[in-house]
Amino acid sequence: MADGTVEKANPAEPAAAPTAWRSHGTARRSTHTLRLRVSAALVAVTVLAVLLVPPLVQLDQQAVDLAAKLEPPGWAHPFGTDDVGRDLLLRCVYGLRVSLLVGVVAALTATVIGTAVGATAGALGGWADRAVMRLVDTLASVPHLLLGVFIVAMFRPGVWPVVVSVGLTHWLSTARIVRAEVLSLRSRPHIDAAVSGGASRWRVTVRHLLPGVLPQAGLAAVLMVPHAMWHESALSFLGLGLPAHTASLGTLIQSARGSLLAGQWWPTLFPGLFLIIPTLALAGLAGVWRERISPRRRSELML
Amino acid sequence: MLELRAITAGYDRRAPAVRDASLTVAPGEAVGLLGPSGCGKSTLARVAALLHRPDAGTLLLDGTPVRRWRHRAPREKRTAFGVVFQQPRLSADPRLRLTDLIAEPLRATGRREAVPERVAELAGTVGLTPDLLTRRPHEVSDGQLQRACLARALVLRPRWLICDEMTAMLDASTTAALVAVVEDYRASTGAGLLAVGHDQTLLHRWCDRTVHWDTVTSAPTGAARPQPKRMSRP
Amino acid sequence: MTERPPVLSVRGLSVRFLLPGGRRIAAVTDAHFDVAPGECLALIGESGCGKSVLASALLGLLPANAQTAGRALLGDLDLLTADERTLARTVRGRRIGLVPQSPAAHLTPVRTIRSQLEETVAELRGVRGRAALREAAEQAAERAAFPPDHLDRHPHELSGGLAQRAATALALVGGAPLLLADEPTTGLDRDLVDRTVDELRRHVDADGDRALLMITHDLAAAERVADRVAVMYAGRIVELADAQAFFGAQGPRHPYSRGLLEALPDRAFTPIPGLPPELGDLPDGCAFAPRCERTTGACTTLPLLTGSVACHHPVPAVTSEDIRA
Repeated sequence: MADGTVEKANPAEPAAAPTAWRSHGTARRSTHTLRLRVSAALVAVTVLAVLLVPPLVQLDQQAVDLAAKLEPPGWAHPFGTDDVGRDLLLRCVYGLRVSLLVGVVAALTATVIGTAVGATAGALGGWADRAVMRLVDTLASVPHLLLGVFIVAMFRPGVWPVVVSVGLTHWLSTARIVRAEVLSLRSRPHIDAAVSGGASRWRVTVRHLLPGVLPQAGLAAVLMVPHAMWHESALSFLGLGLPAHTASLGTLIQSARGSLLAGQWWPTLFPGLFLIIPTLALAGLAGVWRERISPRRRSELML
Repeated sequence: MLELRAITAGYDRRAPAVRDASLTVAPGEAVGLLGPSGCGKSTLARVAALLHRPDAGTLLLDGTPVRRWRHRAPREKRTAFGVVFQQPRLSADPRLRLTDLIAEPLRATGRREAVPERVAELAGTVGLTPDLLTRRPHEVSDGQLQRACLARALVLRPRWLICDEMTAMLDASTTAALVAVVEDYRASTGAGLLAVGHDQTLLHRWCDRTVHWDTVTSAPTGAARPQPKRMSRP
Repeated sequence: MTERPPVLSVRGLSVRFLLPGGRRIAAVTDAHFDVAPGECLALIGESGCGKSVLASALLGLLPANAQTAGRALLGDLDLLTADERTLARTVRGRRIGLVPQSPAAHLTPVRTIRSQLEETVAELRGVRGRAALREAAEQAAERAAFPPDHLDRHPHELSGGLAQRAATALALVGGAPLLLADEPTTGLDRDLVDRTVDELRRHVDADGDRALLMITHDLAAAERVADRVAVMYAGRIVELADAQAFFGAQGPRHPYSRGLLEALPDRAFTPIPGLPPELGDLPDGCAFAPRCERTTGACTTLPLLTGSVACHHPVPAVTSEDIRA
């Protein structure tokens, strides 16, 4: 039928053929890269500032200078000063340091608890699963903040009670995510194959189920960091978290509330920005990560 | 002797996928179970491999009834079965290199020292090159991955092989190659085979005896179940 | 049939994937073929030989790390250079109807078949008004032999065969001149395979203007439906032959195609020795040479597709058959 045309076209082609390569769909990739770079840069700046400023800059964040109180942003104080004349830029960096520390440690605690509970429930299944998940539902029905306030109230104000409070209230969602992942993995034939290959329940959980859910758990942990930071700020704002003299983003905003009404916007704006920008940057990173681990992207590279 | 007696099994007690199915495989015998897709034959295969607890009925293994399933079944009973599933992509742990995939049952049963020798031997048997063994599942084709899954099923020298639609996703040449591997293994060890599938020509050529799903179950399955096709399980 | 221009004309189509680390995967190399109106061409080969990539290239659905070369003319439109907007608005559904691999996954699970058909009819044919839409959707279902009393069901309430018909009905709505079926029979029972391909054939025969390109590894399905067969190996089309001759007494001429047919359980049931080569590391010469029993010194150079087969030592053609092909 159409063989004749093929025969004619063919002998001339191969010599000239693989020259004009065309690429497809580059635009989408570049926005991804942009988002990744901006987020990564912002997170890097935040982490570096928090780690390097306190040891390198020999200024006292607690130095009171009543003569220079509530100065607007200027050369001497780029972010202005607060109501007792402390430099706001320095206070913000120290505040971010505390908030980030609380956020990271609390998120890690929450993720470890959540992964352990979720994986156990999912791997055991049956009545154990039902019992654990009803407990999770019960805990989740109490508002986080209320539970957090309750836990903080049992201790003296300080960093660690806040970490405990945030960690103990935030593992529920991770537990749910991990359990759902484990359940979906558990019904895969490769788990059947492992069982048939003589693997013990422990080995199936540790070698086959957990590694499969770790990317999801890690993603949940990254997303948990901003969440925990906000929670810490909320507790501090309510005066229940850190003692008022310790700079944290929550205490900074709380103590500046009075001056906002008098038209002095900087003592609230800058700590607020310090809370929002790292949060968005972390969320951006988490978004890129989520796309990395999604099966659709993996299959993109396959034939 | 592998005897399934009046097995009823499924994922929902109100609508079991298998009703009252009976089937016998003698040692060294190859039985082909033929049935349309979604009829529940995969569930029966999982019951036979001690991977799914039936709601009713008995499974006799060499005359002794099996009472425990999955993890609870004694290890030597579980590992007496080599199982190969339809979709190699789903039956391989995506993180394991093919060599670890094949060696996993040896490691799980504490026979670590046998790994290098046994994996090399089986890779040769199923036709995998050393280069392929270092790759992960997403870097090989379906056919190559299914070869590795078959090698994994054979690594503990099972007395029974359960092949659930093993070749449904594969081309003719790979199909013939994998069936030849199974038959060579059976010829040298005398293992029994339950091959589940929908391809009549293939099963007739492959097995000593083929039974149709309708003769295995007493209840007319098509009418018994409200949904014509189960989507949940291959 | 030869005077009419082909529906699809593929010339020197090549696809490369760029992998991290600078590796290049030659998924499709220098494919030439035509699909004439009223014709069914079956593209066969084992998994990973590049046939699905070829389908994705025709639909403009390649991932971002792919590069293409050559031309794929659908009428006067080159599918490889057309931009996404053109492909989305004028090609997919309207000029190429896609019959998917797994209809159950292709249909939206939360909506009835009727609502999906009505939406497609409204989108592709511009039908407006409730009554008109309803009627058009029922007609579309009828054309694919989908029973009208099942229209209000959701995809999970359909059997595999009916889901396949629903997906076919959707593919046919736009009246596309080219039907592209990508492994439409994977995992189906033999009688369902037969029914599915018969229906596809019927749509090609119904009006002589339509063409079907079916991509499959199921040789029995290809034999049942195809006018011509293109065999793909390691990214290249190695044989392009008349289906009757290919499956009939004469048999295929390329050693690979012969091996593939001999592997069928109703024939010799013997596999081709060895594995297909890596698409990222193809030899300079004939890619099949390491597995071929007829290999000679000539096989270190690349065989061109001359006549119907790309091989240095093909099985000789039976003369009268060959002229007809």
